[in-house]
Amino acid sequence: MLPILVMLVIGLPWLGALLVWWAGDQRSRQQHALAVGFSVVTALAALALIPFSQTVQTIVIPSSGVSGNGYGTFTFSPDGLGIFLAVVATVIGSLAVIFSVDYMKGEAQLGRYYSMVLFFIGAMAGLVLTSNLLLIFVFWEITALCSYALISFYNDDPKAVAGGMKALIMTQLGGVGLLLGAALSYGYLHTVDLNEFLAHADQLPADVLSVMAFGFLIAAAAKSAQFPFQTWLPDAMEAPTPVSALIHAATMVNAGVYLLARFFPAFADVPYWRDAVMLVGMLSALLSAIMALVATDLKRVLAYSTVSQLGYMVYAVGAGGVFASQFHLLSHAVFKALLFLSAGAIIHSVGTRDMRGMGGLGKEMPAVRVVFLIGAAALAGLPILNGFWSKELVLEAGLEGGPLWMWVVMLIGAGLTALYTMRCVWMVFYAPPANPLRHIHDAGPAMRSALFPLAIGTLTTWLLAGPFSEFLKGIGVEEETTLEIVMIVLREPATWLAVGVVILGLLAWWQRKYLQILTEPMQDLGVMAERSFGFEAINRTIVQTIQGWAEDLRGLQTGLLSWNVLAIIVSLVMALLIVALGAV
Amino acid sequence: MDISSLLLAVICLLGIGIYAVLVARNLIKVIVGLQVLVKGAMLALIAAGQIAGQPEVGESLALTVIVADTIVAVVGLALAVQVRRRFGTLDIKALSTLRR
Repeated sequence: MLPILVMLVIGLPWLGALLVWWAGDQRSRQQHALAVGFSVVTALAALALIPFSQTVQTIVIPSSGVSGNGYGTFTFSPDGLGIFLAVVATVIGSLAVIFSVDYMKGEAQLGRYYSMVLFFIGAMAGLVLTSNLLLIFVFWEITALCSYALISFYNDDPKAVAGGMKALIMTQLGGVGLLLGAALSYGYLHTVDLNEFLAHADQLPADVLSVMAFGFLIAAAAKSAQFPFQTWLPDAMEAPTPVSALIHAATMVNAGVYLLARFFPAFADVPYWRDAVMLVGMLSALLSAIMALVATDLKRVLAYSTVSQLGYMVYAVGAGGVFASQFHLLSHAVFKALLFLSAGAIIHSVGTRDMRGMGGLGKEMPAVRVVFLIGAAALAGLPILNGFWSKELVLEAGLEGGPLWMWVVMLIGAGLTALYTMRCVWMVFYAPPANPLRHIHDAGPAMRSALFPLAIGTLTTWLLAGPFSEFLKGIGVEEETTLEIVMIVLREPATWLAVGVVILGLLAWWQRKYLQILTEPMQDLGVMAERSFGFEAINRTIVQTIQGWAEDLRGLQTGLLSWNVLAIIVSLVMALLIVALGAV
Repeated sequence: MDISSLLLAVICLLGIGIYAVLVARNLIKVIVGLQVLVKGAMLALIAAGQIAGQPEVGESLALTVIVADTIVAVVGLALAVQVRRRFGTLDIKALSTLRR
């Protein structure tokens, strides 16, 4: 039963991707129906995996030609952590696809869009369910490829193409770290199996283990858009909004956090690794919160806040709070998908992403306002919404496992989060309308049927804290009931300090007129934030260097058959020589 | 026939085939060169079967190669026909549109 379900979760969306593409762009109704059908059935299959979370069982796909050599076997070992992320990917994936029925209505190339989204959902499920390091690498790169193709979906827009290219290059850079880790694991332990690696990690020489640990940290930082690679995510906002919600908020960017959480037991004792992880998380959380304060593009604000919240998760992993980080991941996936999808409904209706061109939308889009406010309150960390509980758990883990000054910085970050959320809500819904003559329509039926489940989820997923801790027992999480977790959070005085800071952040926006004396000296900081504190330059240099190399290599592609054949033969001879030398 | 002369024939066929694929500009000649190349590989399989003392394995692999090889020839020639219709020539240099 389990092997079939795992194969369904990965295979169904891929089959759907082929069928949608095959249906052809002339039959858009079938394409919508196929995409929704396949994604929903995949989500159901993933939900059916939940009962198997405690019976850790390794599924080996017989690969007679390949097994026994360096590639290892194709193994999948769905445990609590993997199943949890597969459920997040497929459920939010299916909601994003349902949302797309309204959002992408009338687009010319639906086949390309839906195929890539479905291909992504399958690859993401594969990434978290497999236990073969090389397969993780393969799925990791497939998700990067889909992300690239979907960011550049509007391929007549140079900004979209550049954004896609940047995302591809930055995340591939991280993939190299992952491949290096897999190669080192095979070289020293003769296995690429994740669980075997975790069991025997202490047999590795200390320096090799630290190379792996920091390689994986770079991989995770690049994938999750963490410091210093955080600038690709805002540029990725050229993608259609359901894609931003699915890939760049709820799933793919979490892969880095997943990687860190997965390998935490092996790397926790590497000197300075935990400090480096916490530092990366803290800097991402703080810097991108400041950037979100000055951005005027609605989707960019949400992108910066994604980087910031991912920073909280990375920080929690570094502090040893794997449960807190994964719980915040769940909350964030739900409320950020909600925020992005409602932003999509707004953008679809207003026709601009610039918040200065919105304002006063509250009256015209009441349904969207309600769900957006729920999501925003969760993002700000207001009590009883899911964001509150998980953020408090993260902060508590940080107080326990990290230095105090970092905790204070994270607390300031939480206040800034409340401030920029308030600013965003005010600019979109309550500011005086920029253009009173515009024609606004509220969200369509497909959009609503995706938004309401997410809004309900934002209100309720924290009730799952207890079952969730039981779910993650396999990776060393202490099992507690929801009530216990709630009591831990409520009894902690730090919680109320954090709530105070959040409320201070909210009040700061109301009283912004009187705070002008304070904000004026901060103008320079704002200008610096708009330029991403100079880290944009680093990222741009990397992208340009790699593209320069690619241009230089273009000379190798002569287009002449004879030269290509010669190159094949020469490299074959060289490979044979290497093998022959190795055999001696 | 002893093994060494068989291997000599293999090397000759491979050499002729590679030379033809590398040098020929006519698409038909390239396909013929490819055929010669594959025949060399087929002979090598039979020789390998003899050396390993399992001639039946080598021979059955050679039979497989014959089938695959025929398909390659058929598809290649069909492509050649299309190329001739579309470009008006069989010169492979005229096909390199990937160049800047």
